[in-house]
Amino acid sequence: MNCKVLENRTIARGFNHLSLAPDKPLGPIIPGQFVMIRVRESMDPLLRRPMSVAGFKPDGSSFGLVIQRIGRGTEILASLAAGDRVDVIGPFGAGFPEPPGAAGELWIVAGGSGVAPFVGMLQPATRPVCRTRVFLGARNSGFLLCADHLSDGADVFLTATEDGSAGVKGVVTDLVERELANGYAPAMIFACGPAPMMRALEKSVSGRDVRLCVSLENRMACGFGACLGCVTKLKTEQRYVAVCRKGPVFDASTIQI
Amino acid sequence: MSEVDLRVNFAGISLKNPIVGASGTFGYGKLYEQFYDLSIIGGFVTKGLSLKPRPGNPIPRICETPAGMLNAIGLQNIGLEKFINRKLAGLESVDTAVIVNFFGETVDEYVQMAVKLDKLDGVSGLEINISCPNVTKGGASFGTDIDTTGEVVSLCREATSKPLIVKLSPNVTDITRFARVCQDNGADGLSVINTLTGTAIDIAARKPVLANITGGLSGPAIKPVALRMVYECYRAVSIPIFGIGGISFARDVVEFIMAGASAVQVGTMNFVNPHILPELVSDLPELLASLKVNSVKEIVGAAHHD
Ligand SMILES: Cc1cc2nc3c(=O)[nH]c(=O)nc-3n(C[C@H](O)[C@H](O)[C@H](O)COP(=O)(O)OP(=O)(O)OC[C@H]3O[C@@H](n4cnc5c(N)ncnc54)[C@H](O)[C@@H]3O)c2cc1C
Ligand SMILES: Cc1cc2nc3c(=O)[nH]c(=O)nc-3n(C[C@H](O)[C@H](O)[C@H](O)COP(=O)(O)O)c2cc1C
Ligand code: FES
Repeated sequence: MNCKVLENRTIARGFNHLSLAPDKPLGPIIPGQFVMIRVRESMDPLLRRPMSVAGFKPDGSSFGLVIQRIGRGTEILASLAAGDRVDVIGPFGAGFPEPPGAAGELWIVAGGSGVAPFVGMLQPATRPVCRTRVFLGARNSGFLLCADHLSDGADVFLTATEDGSAGVKGVVTDLVERELANGYAPAMIFACGPAPMMRALEKSVSGRDVRLCVSLENRMACGFGACLGCVTKLKTEQRYVAVCRKGPVFDASTIQI
Repeated sequence: MSEVDLRVNFAGISLKNPIVGASGTFGYGKLYEQFYDLSIIGGFVTKGLSLKPRPGNPIPRICETPAGMLNAIGLQNIGLEKFINRKLAGLESVDTAVIVNFFGETVDEYVQMAVKLDKLDGVSGLEINISCPNVTKGGASFGTDIDTTGEVVSLCREATSKPLIVKLSPNVTDITRFARVCQDNGADGLSVINTLTGTAIDIAARKPVLANITGGLSGPAIKPVALRMVYECYRAVSIPIFGIGGISFARDVVEFIMAGASAVQVGTMNFVNPHILPELVSDLPELLASLKVNSVKEIVGAAHHD
């Protein structure tokens, strides 16, 4: 699927937001699904890069990406200009499960480029019917990515920064701990961010009656189940499952984070 | 304008064209139906199968390299029984050659696999993967030991009347010795090559990137090595050869055929472009016509001039 770059904005140091318009409208997207992008038509870098879909027009005519520049592929993506073209396949993966019904509460915990899947989830057309409490974490106030967008879509919006320049001083999982200690009880928690954040969350909810769903970012070669390079280990069985097909979102109780 | 004839009879397997999906990059076939109709391609080779399911290696298993990638999947597969019950039946209606890649941890396991696979109607041919650690010989690969290679091939030959192809490891000093041993022990064809052993170091962590330390290098980076080995094997044996290694364009296909391949398999580039096989099938006739070639058969080994 060929896409035209509509816009490329720097949203923080080292982070870009890209808007892409596919030649043919994208099929329905479940938040948490991702696309595989060929950063340029050459043999080096060879493999496509996986990126979560960060918001989309309900008619499929355009979608967004939040890109953290950490290496060659993401640097090339971040250097694209409006009018450039990129080759994209997808969307792939299972995405996040159905949020709780109207009576429940959903918590969303995001760090870094982990905000991406929630940009789509909290947009007006796809917003869950239940109450949502969003926890966003970053180094400092300059790195609270897509904060306006997320706070518009959330019922409660909380932030944590490591230097205290916005919200609570500390890491985002401290904030989650605090809210749990205050007696708030979510039915489900959806999380996307660095592995240590997700491991901390797993600890925080252990022993509580809450379903934690995490989105993994394993290295991928194909994105559609052909290489078995992206696997993660199951907790219950001596078996690996492909993150690109069975995930990237998993019930934290089923896999080793 | 007369049509270019793409048909190939590969060791008794009839292929409507010489473009085949390589083992370990094509799952059990069905996966690619989300991208195209499998009957367009010549065929595909399944993920390497063993008697029992195998969980595979710890992660990380893959690492990108210049114009290529390293993989240490560790032969993860669903096992023969599940393949037969869950995958093979679904392929019955698909008009393409299904070649089963298989391996064992002992010589006896190879033979048991060949016996069972011999009975399956939906299987067009067998591809022996000898690049598997031999548990009875301290984990050294079968495919780098000339005597065990001969033994595995001759015993599998006795066990099956299906077309029997041996996939050679490039990690040997002289691949033509292995090619000859396979032919002498009854192989109907060869697949050249499997991946080249390599590694990569994570300089921040001061350790290898792959949990397995080493992995198999594949992709465009290995094409010249693969082409050289196909060229050498063509001179050493008379059985047909699948050319494999880094194929990305129709002109790569023609290079392999001229070096001595009767057909080709495409691996890593399926990850980069899942539509690559049908694209090669549609690009090939035009390229051959521009070279004044009427059929694939007519240029097999055309680069050899003596
Ligand atoms: C399902 C999924 C969704 C993703 N969504 C997003 C997103 O929305 N936004 C975003 O910015 N990123 C996302 N990623 C991560 C992104 O794909 C990688 O950051 C990107 O592929 C890196 O490419 P690069 O060429 O820039 O880095 P490289 O040059 O390939 O690598 C740079 C450095 O990072 C390390 N590295 C690369 N990939 C990984 C990995 N997966 N795990 C651990 N270390 C790694 C490398 O070893 C190297 O040290 C997602 C990943 C997955 C699997
Ligand atoms: C991820 C991956 C898994 C593979 N698994 C197998 C396998 O199970 N059996 C096998 O014989 N070859 C396997 N191969 C080797 C390929 O079939 C092929 O020989 C090799 O990748 C070279 O071709 P390419 O450069 O077109 O990829 C695998 C290759 C890759 C990249
Ligand atoms: S990325 Fe290839 S199987 Fe998941």
